Amino acid sequence: MLTQTTLITRIMIAVAILLVVCGFCLMTGTEKISPGNILKGPGSVPGSNIEYEIFIGVRLPRVLLAALVGAALAGSGVILQAILRNPLADPFILGISSGAGLGAVIAIIAGFTFTFLGGSPITVCAFAGALTTVWIVWAIGRFTTKSELTSLLLAGVVVNAFFSALIMFLTSIAKSEQMQATVFWLMGNISETSLPVIIVNFVIVLAGLAVLWSICLELNLLSFGESQAQNLGVDPTRIKLIAFTASAIITAVAVSLSGLVGFVGLIVPHAIRLVLGPDHRQLLPISAIIGAAFLVLADTIARTIVAPAQLPVGVITAMTGGPFFLILLARYTRKISWFSK
Amino acid sequence: MAIIEVTNVNFSYDQAHILENLWLTVASGSFLAVAGPNGAGKSTLLYILAGLLKPASGSVSIESKPIGSYSFMDLARKIAFVRQEFVPAFGFTVEETVAMARAPYLQGFGFETPDDLAIVNEALEATETAQFAKRHLYQLSGGERQRVFVARALAQQTPILLLDEPMSFLDLKHQVDIYDLLKKMQTRLGKTILLISHDINVAAQYCDNILLLSADRKYHFGTAEEIFRPELIKEVFGVSGYAGSLGKERFFIPLGKFAKDAEISG
Repeated sequence: MLTQTTLITRIMIAVAILLVVCGFCLMTGTEKISPGNILKGPGSVPGSNIEYEIFIGVRLPRVLLAALVGAALAGSGVILQAILRNPLADPFILGISSGAGLGAVIAIIAGFTFTFLGGSPITVCAFAGALTTVWIVWAIGRFTTKSELTSLLLAGVVVNAFFSALIMFLTSIAKSEQMQATVFWLMGNISETSLPVIIVNFVIVLAGLAVLWSICLELNLLSFGESQAQNLGVDPTRIKLIAFTASAIITAVAVSLSGLVGFVGLIVPHAIRLVLGPDHRQLLPISAIIGAAFLVLADTIARTIVAPAQLPVGVITAMTGGPFFLILLARYTRKISWFSK
Repeated sequence: MAIIEVTNVNFSYDQAHILENLWLTVASGSFLAVAGPNGAGKSTLLYILAGLLKPASGSVSIESKPIGSYSFMDLARKIAFVRQEFVPAFGFTVEETVAMARAPYLQGFGFETPDDLAIVNEALEATETAQFAKRHLYQLSGGERQRVFVARALAQQTPILLLDEPMSFLDLKHQVDIYDLLKKMQTRLGKTILLISHDINVAAQYCDNILLLSADRKYHFGTAEEIFRPELIKEVFGVSGYAGSLGKERFFIPLGKFAKDAEISG
């Protein structure tokens, strides 16, 4: 049984892991930097302390962005697996990826140059596309049949297919440099973004995760089906609405800032569930923190392994996360529940 | 005093009428068995009483208040509902599953207090499920799982217990154990129990009354003596048989055309 003390202890351990990973990754890169020089500050003349400039202008935003995206995708994965009662669910299952992708491709091909609240046109259009798609899928799911979960999943598949076709169409008529930008974005790419934009989005993701954490007891009950949960005092419609809205917003934030980083939202929740159990009161915060640490580490590998070139982080998440997950799977195979019976 | 009042309830799935003009009053602290052939509307009735389905017309009151006026949380403190088993998507343990019954009572950050855990342990002991408290639900047999869900309903500590064929996966010993437990809860704690059972003989030994639903939407309410009449059973189930008594207990033996004692029923 999960107790409050156990949960607090485990969260503190997870936070310690995240801080160690962030500290290591902040110091790792093609340019060597030392903590002493960073602590000296910017210096009297701009550019006099290059190490400080790199740390504040490049490394810190990038590490924060990776942490933000990792936490959002892992947290969203936990929620969608719980609500859809489907272990194969990930943050992109309801078509949010193709919606964001379509938004981003339109921004690239149209050559938009505006900014909104500090966000680039690609970020803004991807965010709008992601949220619009979730709304369309939700509306279709509610409208079509009584079996809401199945129709939501099917609506997600259909909308995904349709928008993917539109992305392919637009990509095929795009200029070569536009096509390259699109492909790179679709592969998932954590690139430098301004610190204020990241901080604003960090607050949104943290608020979203806090809202989701507040309904985790209800998510435990919903694992037994909506009517059983209702008998235990849960309003299933209200909880599903909160869960879908909050997870859609944090996923949209992550996708609009980083493109489609796969694997984190699917595998991190599974790995944590294997090791610590399915209680969502624990699964959500620990998955978000470990998801953040995992993506920070993956992004550091992506930006250093073939330096000065950079790999899309999605390649690293799949290549490192896959084998790691298989090791966990083999070790905890007796504890697995969702493949049995 | 009536704890459940069903007033002229009608319910249909699409064009199929399931319940028609059903009136029912259940006294507080009574034990009612609900029986009838498949499709007669037994489960539908319990779903309506649990607030999971809304009748097309008519009304349901719990403790003299319309069921629709209860919040989800308030209703969860009044009614516990055990259904035919359902295994969740993720691997919760027996103990975690039973502890979920305390959800309607949890305060603050939603963690069980020592009092809640004591109630959970009591329910586990009462249903003989404490021995596998740390095991996952999927590691249990159907009967063991069913006992876990009965334990959860006990831990929910509601005045009304609804049970939809809770004995369907249980062996004879555990059927009797659960009936004994339910009877104890009725007599000692004053709980009101509504239970669907296909084994009307065992149910009749424990319940105060039987509600017999028929496929042609006729309803019969009474004691076992009033219900166990061969002509009534024949009318409702389409089965002939022999009604008798053993001491105070009434029983009915269904006899098909090729049964050894078919001639008894004529």
